[in-house]
Amino acid sequence: MISISLTVNKQVYQVEVEEDLRLIDFIRDKLMLTGTKEGCGEGECGACTIIMDGKTVNSCLVMAFQAHGSRITTIEGVAKDGALHPIQQAFLDVGAVQCGFCTPGMVLSAKALLDENEVPNRHQIREGISGNLCRCTGYNKIVDAIELASSYIKEGQQDETSSSGRQ
Amino acid sequence: MKKRGRGIAAAYYGTGYGNGFPDVSRARAEISKDGNIFIYIGATEVGQGAKTIFCQITAEILGVETQDIHFVCEDTSQTPDAGTAAASRQTYNSGNAVKKAAESLSQRLMEQAQNHLQLNSVHGLKLENHWVYLEDFPKKRVHFKELVKEDTLIVEETFTAQTVKMDEETGEGAPYWPYTFCCYGVEVEVDTETGEIHVIHGVCAQDVGKAINPELIEGQIEGGFAMGLGYGLMENIGLSKGEIKHNRFANYLIPTALDVPELEKIIVEDPSSTGPFGAKGIGEPVMIPAAPAILNAIYDAIGIRFYEIPVTPERVLVAIKDAQKEGKE
Ligand code: FES
Ligand code: FES
Repeated sequence: MISISLTVNKQVYQVEVEEDLRLIDFIRDKLMLTGTKEGCGEGECGACTIIMDGKTVNSCLVMAFQAHGSRITTIEGVAKDGALHPIQQAFLDVGAVQCGFCTPGMVLSAKALLDENEVPNRHQIREGISGNLCRCTGYNKIVDAIELASSYIKEGQQDETSSSGRQ
Repeated sequence: MKKRGRGIAAAYYGTGYGNGFPDVSRARAEISKDGNIFIYIGATEVGQGAKTIFCQITAEILGVETQDIHFVCEDTSQTPDAGTAAASRQTYNSGNAVKKAAESLSQRLMEQAQNHLQLNSVHGLKLENHWVYLEDFPKKRVHFKELVKEDTLIVEETFTAQTVKMDEETGEGAPYWPYTFCCYGVEVEVDTETGEIHVIHGVCAQDVGKAINPELIEGQIEGGFAMGLGYGLMENIGLSKGEIKHNRFANYLIPTALDVPELEKIIVEDPSSTGPFGAKGIGEPVMIPAAPAILNAIYDAIGIRFYEIPVTPERVLVAIKDAQKEGKE
């Protein structure tokens, strides 16, 4: 066993983990945050995407002990105060979800992209989610959703500066 | 060198189990004593949107909002069997079963309302916003809740598709009903140095009978096109002596967001006489014309016909070499 400390969705955890425990299993089985999905277990599909210290990683390829000292966001930590994140809202608004298995990973890849580049073009969006496979949607509606999310986020910031708040 | 070409392909597809095989969907509709509306059906939702359109169909018949419907599906301990989510059959087959169940619930409500309001018949009664009322004299009205307060109203209906087995000798029959039609056009770019093929644009025209939910139909077209593109250009299960060699995403490649083009989608409405509100299934049809349209476009670009898929870069390079050799001889 190794003892590690890490922050997941703003909550600090001090835990003992097995040396061979993968981060995805720590998240799903120990923290019971089952929004993170396992599609392949070998770094090909991106269903297990999480954000670790600002960068997306495939949590199936990271060992739990390697996450020591890191800050992690999973899909459960994306909504704020019960309100959907603008990316989640945009996915709903354009119908970018079919079976939903890729969706948590897609949303997190989109978040990492938009955190770095607020107004990406469609090609940059495609590149940003190219590590996330989707078998249902053909991707275009996901690209539409991320474009829309980018405009939601900008509107939200404008509202904040004019201190009117979003309706 | 990069060479561009265009191609089209058209398809027609018989939906449902077909060929005389019993294709049956059952649905149950209920209004509980507190006035809540329930639909129970064993149809499976896998992301295609069945749940959404069944609620739309029910809401349309009962004059309520889609979010007023409590929808229960898949759980076989609670729901009547509606067959598989396969053969592009849920919208048509189970959609018809849901529609029939909602219609007979509506009929029962009107009969109860006739009694309650002491009317001569059910003619002229309308359902709206959980009320049954007489269109010509709207004051004569009664709320759903009032009609079910003694007893839950329950109805169950079955829809069985009409298909006729083909005669084995003559091949005659009516094996499928209904058929769905579609036509796709694509533009591709072939890199003659690397053999890579890039689909740069696509136009998809899909006959749907009647679009119950255009947004979901677009989602099906987009997804089907991407599957067809993968089928034509990259997906290879690597079957060897009955064993699938490419059994993981590392060696069975499927399209990523960078592989699919922007698509123009054209929804063609031509109501089918037996469909729910004229609707037909499109789950599989949306996949079919993509690969042949792409192969036709490759021919237009480099003058080479491929008879085997997937048309991988390796196969393109070999074919270009062979064509050059033949040209010299
Ligand atoms: S499960 Fe981690 S990449 Fe597929
Ligand atoms: S919605 Fe099914 S895999 Fe993306």
